[in-house]
Parts: sequence; C-alpha cells; structure tokens
Amino acid sequence: MRLLVVEDDPQLREQLRAALEAAPYAVDTAPDGEEAAFMGETEPYDAVVLDLGLPRRDGLSVLRGWRAAGRTMPVLILTARGTWQEKVEGMDAGADDYLAKPFRMEELLARVRALIRRAGGQAAAEITCGPVALDTRAGRVTVAGQPVTLTAHELRVLSYLMHHQGRVISRTELTEHVYAQDFDRDSNTIEVFIGRLRRKLGVDVIHTERGLGYRLAAP
Amino acid sequence: MGRVGSLGRRLLALAVVWVLLALLVAGVALTDLFRRHVEADLTRAMEQHLDQLTAALSLPGQGADQPLVLARELSDPRFERPLSGLYWQVSQAGAVRLRSRSLWDQDLPGGGPVPADGALHLRRAVAPEGGTLLIWERRVSLPDADQPLDIAVAANAAALEAATGNFARVLALSLGVLALGLLAAALVQVRLGLVPLDRLRAALADLRAGQSTRVQGAFPSEVQPLVDDLNQVLADNADMVERARTQAGNLAHALKTPLAVIANSAHSMADADSARLIAVETERMRRQIDHHLSRARAAAMARGAGLRVSVAPALAGLARTIPRLHPDRDIALDLQVSDGLLFRGEGQDLQEMVGNLLDNAAKWCAGRIQLSAAPAGPGQLCIIVADNGPGIPADRRAAVLARGTRLDEAVPGSGLGLAIVDDLARLYGGSLELDEDAALGGLSARLTLPRA
Repeated sequence: MRLLVVEDDPQLREQLRAALEAAPYAVDTAPDGEEAAFMGETEPYDAVVLDLGLPRRDGLSVLRGWRAAGRTMPVLILTARGTWQEKVEGMDAGADDYLAKPFRMEELLARVRALIRRAGGQAAAEITCGPVALDTRAGRVTVAGQPVTLTAHELRVLSYLMHHQGRVISRTELTEHVYAQDFDRDSNTIEVFIGRLRRKLGVDVIHTERGLGYRLAAP
Repeated sequence: MGRVGSLGRRLLALAVVWVLLALLVAGVALTDLFRRHVEADLTRAMEQHLDQLTAALSLPGQGADQPLVLARELSDPRFERPLSGLYWQVSQAGAVRLRSRSLWDQDLPGGGPVPADGALHLRRAVAPEGGTLLIWERRVSLPDADQPLDIAVAANAAALEAATGNFARVLALSLGVLALGLLAAALVQVRLGLVPLDRLRAALADLRAGQSTRVQGAFPSEVQPLVDDLNQVLADNADMVERARTQAGNLAHALKTPLAVIANSAHSMADADSARLIAVETERMRRQIDHHLSRARAAAMARGAGLRVSVAPALAGLARTIPRLHPDRDIALDLQVSDGLLFRGEGQDLQEMVGNLLDNAAKWCAGRIQLSAAPAGPGQLCIIVADNGPGIPADRRAAVLARGTRLDEAVPGSGLGLAIVDDLARLYGGSLELDEDAALGGLSARLTLPRA
C-alpha cells in the first residue's frame, strides 16, 4: 500500500512518514499544495493524508482538483481547522474522513487502515484468503492460525494482493503500490518478493497469470 | 454630561417664546398705530370745528369793549348740550370772551399763552365732567380786532380711549387665537420634523434585534450624515471583530500543529511517566484551545448585530457529512426543517452546536438519528437531535454537560462536545436540554436558540 502525506510542517511530516512506514506503508510526502496536486494526479496512491493550510495552494483546492480529474483514492483531511463548518466543507470537497489536529497517531493509523480497507471493498479489519489471514490493525499475517514473520516489503506486497484479491495485478501496478517514489525501483525484485512470500506462506494462494501478473485466490 | 432633554420640547419651547414675543410686539404696535390714527381723525374734525368757529366770529364794534358775537351757531349740537364732552371757548388777552353752552358756567382749564404762529396746538387738561380733556388752540388775528383771539376747541378723550380700548381688546382676542393656531402648527411641525428620528430609532431597534447589519433606508440630509457615520462605525466594528476573530483562530490553529508534534514525540519517548504526563497535558491544551476558541468566536458574535443564517442548508450539510464520517455504523439520518427557518447568529456556531450533538448521536446510536428544527414560541427555534442508542440515565445528564466529562472513554471524542454545545447555546441566550426520546428510545438533545 502506497500513501501520500501532504503536510507543510517538516517535523509533523517526518513523524507521519515514520509512523506510516512502520505500519508498513510505502510513503511519499509533499510539503506544499502544488507538489501534492501533481503527485496525486500522476501517482497511484492507495490513500492520501492531506493538510488544508498549505503553502502555494490550498488543500481543499488540491482535493477538488483531484476529484475533478477523476482521482478516487481515499483522502483523509488532517487539519488544525476542526470546526463542523470546515468538516462539512472538506467532506463536500470530496474527502473521505476528517481528523483535527492535534491527533493521536493510533487514531490516524486506524482511520487510514479503515479508508484503505473500505476502498478495497473489505468490511472487516481482518482480511482472509483461504487459510491466510491479514490483521490490518496489527499488520500480522497468520496461516491456519500460525503466525508468519514477514519483512515490510513482503507485507506490503501481500497486503496489496489481499486488498485486491481475485483481481489480476500486474507487476508494474504492484511496484507502484509497494515502493515510494524516491525508491530505486526494479520490477524484477517483485518476483523475488513473490517467491519468498510463497515459501513463507506455504500455501498456494498467489497465482501467476502468464504475461499479465499475479492474482490472489484461495487454493 | 447632563440630560439634554427632549429635542421636540426644546423646539416647541422656542416656538412658544418666539410666537408670544412676536404677537405681543405686534399687539402693542398695532394698538399704538390705531390710537394715533383715531387721534389724527379727531384732530382733523376738531380743526374743522375750530375753522367753523373762527369763521362764525364777528366783531361788530370798535375799541376796547368791542363786542364779540357768534354770527351763527356751530353745526355740531353737542356744543349746545351742557357737559357733552365737546366744547369751544374764545378768549382775548387772557380773558374769556365767549364759550360754548356745553361748558355751562365753567371756563376751559387755562394753559399758557398760545404761540402766535397760527398753528394748531394740542394740550391736555382735566375735563369739567371728569376724565382727560384734549384742547386744540390757535391764536388768530382778526382784521377787525385790536388784539388777537385765542380760539380753543376741546373734546373729552374718553371716546378716544374707549375706541382704542375696544380695538385693543378685539386685537388681543384675535392675536390670542392666532397664537394658539401658530402653536398648534409649531407642534405639528415639530412632530412631523422629528419623524425621521423616530424612523432612525426604529432602524436602530431592528439593528439591536439582529434584523439588519446596518441602518436601512434614506433619511433627510440633516440626519443622513449621522446614519452614514453610524453605518461606517458598524462596518468598522464588524471588520475589527472579524480581524480579531481571524487572529484568534490563526493563533489557535498555529498552536495545534506543534502540539501534534509534541504529543507524537512524547508517544515514542523511553520515559513512560514523562510521556504520559506530556500526553495528558497536550490533550488538556487542545481542549483549552478548542474551548476558548469557540467561546471567543461566539462571545464576539453572539451580541453582534444583524446576523442571521438559514437553518436548512446548515443542517443539510451536517446531515450529509455525519454518516460519511461514521461509515462503519451505517446510519440512517432523518432530517426535518421548517421552511424559511432563520437562526439569529453565526452559521458556524449553529453548525458547531448541531454538529457536536449529531456526532455524539452517531457514536452512540444503533443506526437511526432524527434531526428536526422548527420554530418554538416567539423569537425562538428548537433543534432536536434524537437517536436510538442507549441514552443517558437521568441522574447523569447534568454531569455530561460539565466540561471535560466523558461517560465512556472507550468511544473516541474530546468529551467536550456536549459542554461546548451547552456553552455556545448559553452565549446565544438559549439552552441545551437532554432527555429520553419517546419515539426512538435513545437520547434526545433539545437545543433552544434565538430565531430571526
């Protein structure tokens, strides 16, 4: 899962990045409205954490721009402006959730998780595929009740596949959603992750569709 | 500054003084003019009598004892009737030679010698029958006489005085009526003239009642500058309040991001006690900021003039937003607002109050929320937020409104929601009451607010 964090305060931006990367998500950050607008329109994010009071371009205008351009990724507004009038305005502009500063990081993480889950059509906090279960709250994976230890990258790959199970996902798509923008991408490493995942899970849930990509389905 | 009294009374008092003074002067002047006129008339008549008398005198003999006779009687019969008030007398060298029968056995009261200039001289004396006697005299030199004759005609002034007195009485009566008319006119003038001030007062009452934000309507050129200045002051004041409010908001919001940073840093600190302390204190700071921010805003605006906002769109916005903020709860929100309902105050404050109530309802309800707004009595409206959740026991309802109370710490929220609503409602002179909803069985929050 790949996230965009738009926040002009450098301290808070780094705190958000650290907390979200530990979740673990691939995180891009933007310090101002213009950059955020561009990144949101060109990169495929699974969720956006958006501040409103931004330099160069207001957050609400950025959000409206994305929605007008047909970008449907879930957006959580994280702002100091917490009146109901501003919440209504933000939700009307196309936001999916609204959190007022100061906030508890756990609450932000929970809300981001819920946004991503709902965007993938998953209602419960635990996503299952056959014997494989992903607890999105704790980032824990179990196979038939037995915990499996995964690295952050492996977890991101599995998490993306779990959220979009049944659908064929290309290696490019997987790459885009697993790595942050500044990461040195190599789609061949995806194959390495898939191989490791198959080994660690021990069950045949990740199917290879020749020339298309991967599909997650119960064995 | 002392009391300056009524403008109307002041204008009226001036009118009274001015009218009375003018009419008094006019009365005195007219009476004097009339007296002069009557006197001039009398003088002309008496001069004729005197000329007639002079022409009738004849001196048939010669020498010192020359007889003096009246060749014919004077035409006016009053000269014949004793003490009639009309007399004549001819004297020569200080001795009376002839006099009218009306003088009977008296002479006219003597005066000094008459100047020999042939002119008519008037003097006053006491009349034989009482009263003032006006005497016209002329020294005449007849060709036959060896000494000049002093010819005098006299009339009692009583008739003159009576005519003047009558005139003065009629005049005083007329002027009195005129004075009353003028004063009535002045009263009407003052009333009509001050009508714009009454309109201004009504406009100001509207302003205070929140019906308008500025003094409306056109006023006479004397009052308009005042109105323009007042509107300017109102606009300046509104600007100032808006600026102060923006500043307060900016300050509060500027504090929140660093506060978030501090709270998050504390969370990852090794020293658990310090971390907890910082977390508790930052949370308290956040509550303080929210509380005072909303209070400052409401305090500045609640007494502000002329604000009103349509209730329906404000509630519709919240009704759209609340279910989306609680997507996992699958909330059915039923909204009913009376047509044309206007809240007297800031839309932001209205949304803050109802938003907090709805958010509470959304956290606790079992899927259903009813939001309704309707007029309630004169100048008030009533907004009810009801849900089908567990409600709050009657004995704990007062405690929920206390600042910072949270009945269940497990449900996320500031715990200040209901207290802020209560605070805001009070600032607007309204109230918040909690009750059990008869239909849905959950909590029913009833918000009473001023209606425009």
